[in-house]
Amino acid sequence: MSKIIGIDLGTTNSAMAVMEGGSPKVIHSAEGRNVVPSVVDPISHVVGDVAKHQLVLKPKTTIYSIKRLMGRKYSDPSVQKDVKLLPYTIKSGRDGMAVVEVDGRTFTPQEISAQILQKIKADAEAYLGGKVTQAVITVPAYFDDSQRQATKQAGEIAGLEVLRIINEPTAAALAYGLDKKNAHTIAVYDLGGGTFDISILELGEGVYEVKSTSGDTHLGGDDFDQTIIEYLADEFKKEHNVDLRKDPQALQRLKEAAEKAKIELSSSQEAEINQPFITQGKEGPLHLTMKLTRAKLESLVDDLIQKTIKPVEAALKDAKAKVADIDEVVLVGGMTRMPKIVEVVTKFFGKEAHKGVNPDEVVAVGAAIQGGVLGGEVKDVLLLDVTPLTLGIETLGSVATPLISRNTTVPTAKSQVFSTAADNQTQVEINVLQGERPMASDNKSLGRFILDGIPPAPRGIPQVEVTFDIDASGILSVKAKDKATGKEQSIKITGSTGLSKEEVEKMTKEAEVHAQEDLDKKEKVEARNTADSLIFTAEKTTAEKTLKDAGDKVKEEDKKEVEEKVSALKSILDSGSKEDLETKTKELSDSLQKVGQAMYASQKTEGGGQKTEETTEGDSEEKKSDSAKATSDKDKPVEGEVVN
Amino acid sequence: MVKKDTHILDLENQLKRALADYQNLEKRSVEQRKEWVKSANKDLLLRLLPVLDTLMLASQHVQDEGILASIKQFEDALKSEGVEKIETMGQEFNPQTMECVVTEQVDPSTGSGQEEGKVMEELQAGYRLHDKVLRPAKVKVGKKI
Repeated sequence: MSKIIGIDLGTTNSAMAVMEGGSPKVIHSAEGRNVVPSVVDPISHVVGDVAKHQLVLKPKTTIYSIKRLMGRKYSDPSVQKDVKLLPYTIKSGRDGMAVVEVDGRTFTPQEISAQILQKIKADAEAYLGGKVTQAVITVPAYFDDSQRQATKQAGEIAGLEVLRIINEPTAAALAYGLDKKNAHTIAVYDLGGGTFDISILELGEGVYEVKSTSGDTHLGGDDFDQTIIEYLADEFKKEHNVDLRKDPQALQRLKEAAEKAKIELSSSQEAEINQPFITQGKEGPLHLTMKLTRAKLESLVDDLIQKTIKPVEAALKDAKAKVADIDEVVLVGGMTRMPKIVEVVTKFFGKEAHKGVNPDEVVAVGAAIQGGVLGGEVKDVLLLDVTPLTLGIETLGSVATPLISRNTTVPTAKSQVFSTAADNQTQVEINVLQGERPMASDNKSLGRFILDGIPPAPRGIPQVEVTFDIDASGILSVKAKDKATGKEQSIKITGSTGLSKEEVEKMTKEAEVHAQEDLDKKEKVEARNTADSLIFTAEKTTAEKTLKDAGDKVKEEDKKEVEEKVSALKSILDSGSKEDLETKTKELSDSLQKVGQAMYASQKTEGGGQKTEETTEGDSEEKKSDSAKATSDKDKPVEGEVVN
Repeated sequence: MVKKDTHILDLENQLKRALADYQNLEKRSVEQRKEWVKSANKDLLLRLLPVLDTLMLASQHVQDEGILASIKQFEDALKSEGVEKIETMGQEFNPQTMECVVTEQVDPSTGSGQEEGKVMEELQAGYRLHDKVLRPAKVKVGKKI
């Protein structure tokens, strides 16, 4: 079964992706890069990075930016403008269409593009290990019928059946799954290597309609790089009176340094430019060492960024839309990694833009998804869902213990063993929770059930295995099983992923907002639980025969001290602050250790009890198995917890 | 019934697809692992090469035996990791391994015409890692007027 690949046939760079196992995967070129430069030497059939390497040497025979000529007449004003900018020969061909001439041979833009597509096809075949014959190719939203037709022909020349030509902004929206959201009006801001496009899309009946487009066909990342290079060279000239632009070797290093600084400044506030021995001055070698701050960079390229705003306004006007009408904003193109651009766009639209999918790959990814839909590979039934919120159960002290964390792909199953929190506890109540908050009461309870018939045993001994299982359609089954008796109880919950988008968003947001107070609450409960289990251990130690076994090695005052501390801790168990609980717990633990040591000493001589070790052991185990809550006689049952 | 049949067909297709994807993924991950072993150091090497570039530049400006020895030491270390320098000087320009960043005019009517299409200067050394281009060399190439 051959695959349908998605191709972003770009002006500067092209990219490809394919659906694999239900999700889009970007295919790397034979050179190991995620994009292929859209550069072709049509005579020697050299494409991509390799062709780019000879661009300077063979400017007349190495064709780039061919997309600017696709399906256009030679007389087209845009072609006339490009004729002046592009170094290769552009002529009027059949029907007055623009063609290029290389070494006396004419090539249509379709043929040149076909060579790019052939390379993409070959690289995809090498990756997939099989023939590739079908593709979805993207074009700018403003492409007219003739330009679309030309793109389709390019595909056919390359031996690809073009199943569909889709708009680049539509592909970007698909990549973000916006077709499944209730987004009606979407703005796609695409700032690539050499072109800027803004499109306003409207989604209706599952179809994207392009309401308007605008942009600047000669504005992109290259202009940003050039600005930085000029600035660095100017600064260097001021200081050393040497123009680095005149020294090809120095200029080369300057270009690299500028690009590196630009990338670095997307993630840090300051970039160091360090190019020792960059050139030879009158008095010996000169070094380029400079610091470029993000603020400086932003002020340098501010003009360029502002140049994008006018087209955005124009596009809105053409679409007869106001800023407030835009439901979603999508960023495309490598330059949109720049924080300042994100900031300007966010400010303009008054909402956060979609990020996350690599902006160089997002269009190809969307094309692959479209290919998947056409090939029947992407179907709603097959689309594997994820759990939108964490699922877990309530444990001792009303803590929510997660079993399946959010964004886990379903179907999935997970089990964990829990224990009881009180002696002779014969039943546990399983309260199934959904949500991100650490405390049970703040999350949504999906259902609860009781597993009884657990044989009486000291706390921490019974083993109750709780299993969560979500099937492909999102149905959650929860099962609790007592490992000793094999007795089990279960519940099936159908609404586990049935929350509306709004509900999910609300719950996720709440979790963020309350993160700190939740953490405090949880820590307090944990402190209480630790105290509680230490009291339990201490009481056992002092009450049971272990102490008798230890004989008179344990001093009466030590024992008394433990007992006092136990009651002190008990009195504040439910009322004390986290700090008080921790201090008192520490005190009790210290006194208990004294007793333990004494007993250990006695054991050494008499082979008696070994309480110290048991103490620590029991302690940590209690923490680990953080078990269903106890309802010992004095403790009042906490809501939703295990009952005796 | 027809509906059921197409549903079964659909499911069968999806299952086949998933299985095929999985098998291909398995095959590919074996291949990829081999590749990884070879090129695991690639990114690191690419970040270290500029240091060597600087040393080489320094040696052009400052005649010092110590610098030459440092370069030699660096190159030996690279060699032991499978990194090899791409030969450029006087060679025919090859876009697979070199990038032409500047040209120099040569006149075929005089002796310099032989330099046409040949590398006249290496501006930045290029390297191969296990027969794959790690970084193309940046060169100046002769070009007839």
